Amino acid sequence: MKIGFTLNGKNTFIDVDAARRVIDVLREDLEMTGTKEGCGTGECGACTILVNSESRLACLMVAAQLEGAEVTTIEGIERDGRLHPLQKAFVEHGAIQCGFCTPGMVMASIDLLSRNPEPTQAEIREGISGNLCRCTGYQKIVEAVAAAAAAKEKDGLP
Amino acid sequence: MKEPENGEIERAGYDIGKTAHRADAYAKVTGREKYAADYYDGEFLWAGVKRAGVPHAALTGIHAEDARALPGVIAVLTHHDIPGENRIGIIRKNQPVLADTRIRHSGEAVALVLAENRETLKDALNRITLDYEALPGVFSVEEALKETSPRIHEDNPEGNVVKAVAVETGDSAKAFNECDAVVEGVFEVPAQEHAYLETESGWAYQGEDGTYVIVASTQTPFRDCFEIAPVLGIDPAGIRVIAPYLGGAFGGKDGITVQCLLALAVLHSRGRPVKMWWDREESFLAGVKRLSAKMHYRLGAKNDGEFHALECRLYYDGGAYSPLGGEIMTLGAEHAGCAYRIPNVSIKGWCVYTNNPVGGPFRGFGVPQVTAAMEQMVDMAAQRLGIDPLAIRLKNAVRKGDRNCLGVTLTNSTGAVECLEKMSSHPLWKGRAAWKEEAGPFKVRGVGVACMAHAMGYPPMVADEARAKIELTVEGKIRVYAGVVDMGQGNASTYAQIAGYVLGQDASAMELVLPDTARTLPSGSSSASRTTYTYGNALIEAARSLEKAIIKAACERVPGSVAEGFLFLPGKVRHTPTGRELLLEELAAFMDDSARVTTGYFKMPVVREKLDAIYMGPHLIFSYGAHLVYVEVDELTGQVDVARYLAVTDAGRVINPQVFAQQIEGAVAQGMGYALTEDFKVRKGRIVTRDLSTYIIPTSMDIPAIDSVPVEIDEETGPFGLKGAGEIGMSGPLPAIANAVSDACGTRVFRAPMTGEAVYGALIRKKEEGTVL
Amino acid sequence: MTTVYRPGSLDEFWDMREKYGEALVFAGGTDLFVKLRALNKYPPVLIGLAGVKELQSIEELSGAVFIGAHATHTRLLSHPRIREHFPVLASALRSLGSPPIRNMGTIGGNICTASPAGDVLPPLYVLGAQVELRKKDGSRRVPIREFILGPGTTALTDGELLSGVWLKKEDSFTIHHFEKVGQRKALAIAVASLAALVTTTETGIVEKARFAWGSVGPTVVTSQDAEDALVGLPLGLKALQSIVPIVERSVSPIDDVRASAAYRKALAGNLVVRLAGRGREPLRA
Repeated sequence: MKIGFTLNGKNTFIDVDAARRVIDVLREDLEMTGTKEGCGTGECGACTILVNSESRLACLMVAAQLEGAEVTTIEGIERDGRLHPLQKAFVEHGAIQCGFCTPGMVMASIDLLSRNPEPTQAEIREGISGNLCRCTGYQKIVEAVAAAAAAKEKDGLP
Repeated sequence: MKEPENGEIERAGYDIGKTAHRADAYAKVTGREKYAADYYDGEFLWAGVKRAGVPHAALTGIHAEDARALPGVIAVLTHHDIPGENRIGIIRKNQPVLADTRIRHSGEAVALVLAENRETLKDALNRITLDYEALPGVFSVEEALKETSPRIHEDNPEGNVVKAVAVETGDSAKAFNECDAVVEGVFEVPAQEHAYLETESGWAYQGEDGTYVIVASTQTPFRDCFEIAPVLGIDPAGIRVIAPYLGGAFGGKDGITVQCLLALAVLHSRGRPVKMWWDREESFLAGVKRLSAKMHYRLGAKNDGEFHALECRLYYDGGAYSPLGGEIMTLGAEHAGCAYRIPNVSIKGWCVYTNNPVGGPFRGFGVPQVTAAMEQMVDMAAQRLGIDPLAIRLKNAVRKGDRNCLGVTLTNSTGAVECLEKMSSHPLWKGRAAWKEEAGPFKVRGVGVACMAHAMGYPPMVADEARAKIELTVEGKIRVYAGVVDMGQGNASTYAQIAGYVLGQDASAMELVLPDTARTLPSGSSSASRTTYTYGNALIEAARSLEKAIIKAACERVPGSVAEGFLFLPGKVRHTPTGRELLLEELAAFMDDSARVTTGYFKMPVVREKLDAIYMGPHLIFSYGAHLVYVEVDELTGQVDVARYLAVTDAGRVINPQVFAQQIEGAVAQGMGYALTEDFKVRKGRIVTRDLSTYIIPTSMDIPAIDSVPVEIDEETGPFGLKGAGEIGMSGPLPAIANAVSDACGTRVFRAPMTGEAVYGALIRKKEEGTVL
Repeated sequence: MTTVYRPGSLDEFWDMREKYGEALVFAGGTDLFVKLRALNKYPPVLIGLAGVKELQSIEELSGAVFIGAHATHTRLLSHPRIREHFPVLASALRSLGSPPIRNMGTIGGNICTASPAGDVLPPLYVLGAQVELRKKDGSRRVPIREFILGPGTTALTDGELLSGVWLKKEDSFTIHHFEKVGQRKALAIAVASLAALVTTTETGIVEKARFAWGSVGPTVVTSQDAEDALVGLPLGLKALQSIVPIVERSVSPIDDVRASAAYRKALAGNLVVRLAGRGREPLRA
């Protein structure tokens, strides 16, 4: 099936089995391995991407669902070579250890801040509750999201 | 090291004791970092494994014709296709790469398939059928130890025992009679699944020189070469293992997962690279687990609270093969008395084979199990004697110069008491009574503490050593060849920090080469709270040698200068008397290639006394911790809510406060999962919790704010005074929470995890029986 | 090879449905794709409902609210009508899965999956929801309790599509209560759950009550007896404890990997007791 969509702002056309998982389209077909797979069943959130600005799990979507959609992955959130404020906060606050949950965690946090620009600590914990992290105990991730929300610089939030 | 191109992240020069952003953070946060799971280059093949699905059987036939006939299937391999030895194992070589005559656990690998794509691979695996005769299984430690039970490894002279150890100090039988109070308990802790986000994965190909190259998510690249080579029947020099950053490991990638299978696959891949990536279910089925344990404890004390006698009987379930099970149980036995001075001790431990999933290392090795038991015993003794739980710990905690339960004199930094004292002055300790008062309807609150010790490094019989290598590149960068894997804990970044500090450089001047058996030097595994301690010490030596070499080159460039006149600055050295500056790049051009590379070696000090106290010898240096937890129990559901957590840690001096806090917070979170929800359930050898929807690890909403406070006692032998911090935090949460739940409910749950159902059951029993423990 | 169709309207949907009788229909895909992965088998035709315009609306019509089957949990949660009139439903939605699951999953999907643990089901039972079932040439409305027949089975017939849910505004209940007991606080499948609507007099006497429990039977469990027994009593510990035996008789839970039947039974009763916190009597818990 021929499918056209926007990926990180670029028109993208693929010709794949309509039921091919989006995670496989991204990682294997388009070689964008920033989006990770941790379970394949929607339990871990490592494959979180944005579809039309909302978080989605790429392991539970099929290629046909991409038709006409605007897709953003971790590779598409820097602006003019500058880190997204959330990425910057993750680096500065030590929110990254093994890093395998990080791309999904960042994408989930973007979804959260787009709905709720000034979340409480509890709201941050709820906002990232679909993204399992086995390294950090979440504390520094929560701190990073809070710091990004508090930062003045909010431009470039997709 | 990949640098932010934009320079927007502030980067000061490296210092010790000051947070430096991790060297891997930028590449990871942008999705650019390439993990072993991220290779899809060229015309590669997928490899996958047919697993037994039955826990114990005699394998009589493998039918792969249907699979082989499938278009897109390149090869189906069985034990017949193994050119070398079909047995691997770190201590006991008894695990087949592909089963030949016997199936010993339901995740046993039986056949290996190579296919053009993942869909064909799955299809082919489903078409393989096995002939087998089911054998009666052994599914518990009790069954394993029965004389009449089936033997899982027929050639094991010890029956189903992997390893048994005994420690006797003083005269415990006599000593118990001298005690004013004796408490007893039987504790059970479950198998625990690592649940790293990156499941086992790797990529393999044959290099142009004929070498088999395996890029794998592994903690042990150097040891892997010696495991893989005999399977292929070749010299280890013909194997190259590369370990990129790992997507988590925690001990679960300490040893062989995909490596031998990938090597075997490459023999049949017709020159194409091969990818293997276990899905979550396969990771659960075939990956190692923390050993479940049953522990009988008896602790005797005097009226003043002084511990006088301890007796422990420890039973660890090693599973079908036990790559390090005997050693895991042994470390548990060594720590059975935790951080206390107890003069009369009788500890016996057994690790046994069963037809359960394979047991293996998991953060803390065998220590979280015994700490869970001992630290509850301490509270039970305190309660019996009417002594405050913190006071009884302060009274008995080891101090420098004391002998521990094995009779080993603690000659190095020993901060158990300092940790407890720091806790006693913390607002969370002081405010505990007030907090407990404020419980809402149907809620009861409790506060619990635990005190831990964790040995650093390998036991004396295994040299804990590292060989560091560092280079001044012709571009003028300082390149650290990290010999120990970074599985996510950030040790590679700390290596850059250490070398950068010694050589006066900042992050922009540093480069890292991650473990690669062809480029870095063998420095042991990423495990045992040793990665920064051992390699860091070796690296300091290497960096100081390089410093000398650079100064020597600089002296030659500045006529009349002496070595003492130079100052290292980022990217350059300055001759202070003249103010002349020389770029490192410039100096590198004038140095011999051999002079630009230096190495360092370090071997961890070991005990000189009591070497025979336990199998492989006792440890000398320990990290310590004291944890405090607030919990709220719901009386209607039994659910335990962890409200606050304090972790005080003596892991020596802290090199990078942020990375240190990461280790403590992460370990505490894993410990909370171990305490409250994580229960790797296996029924008759078949896994019940097969995925992340049934094996429950904590989410961001389940973990409270964690306060991490270091007690920075200088460890003389450590790099800048450091000790290992990776494991010490893991052992505290289970007993601290158990003690808090007991404090809240007036009854104790002796079996972890303390799920809502388990705690509710205890509340009901208490109500019905009116018993208070 | 699988073909995936994504109709833009019901008319288009009916055409495809007729043409591909064997097609599987999906909404958010959060259940179906997990199942297909486990089977390692994709059907020849999948029909996705995300584009069907008639299934998207959330609207108020003469005292009732219509929720299109493809309304996602996230949309419902942020919808003022839902939060205002059906707090019990909003509360259940907040506990469902995780943010990305709520962004993808739909109310229609949750109903048709007909899991005993479906989080939106107990609220829909107490709210007296009716599901709208459409065929190419007609439609019918069925009370939710008649629609769900057992675990994974519904009264949906061939050629029918669940197009939406009708909820009568329930502003007369003074207490909307939902509680889910899971194994953790997010990404949790209910071990047991309770949706409750209660109205009390000024003095705290129960005038009417509706209860529905999740995960304690093959379908959502209700108990007219328990509801009746509470009417006329002051909402408090004593009254609620008095109906626990009735609740325990009403439920028929099973043992599974998450919990035992006995624990679930105890929870069913205890979750009702929790309502004591919502009454006017001082609590002596």
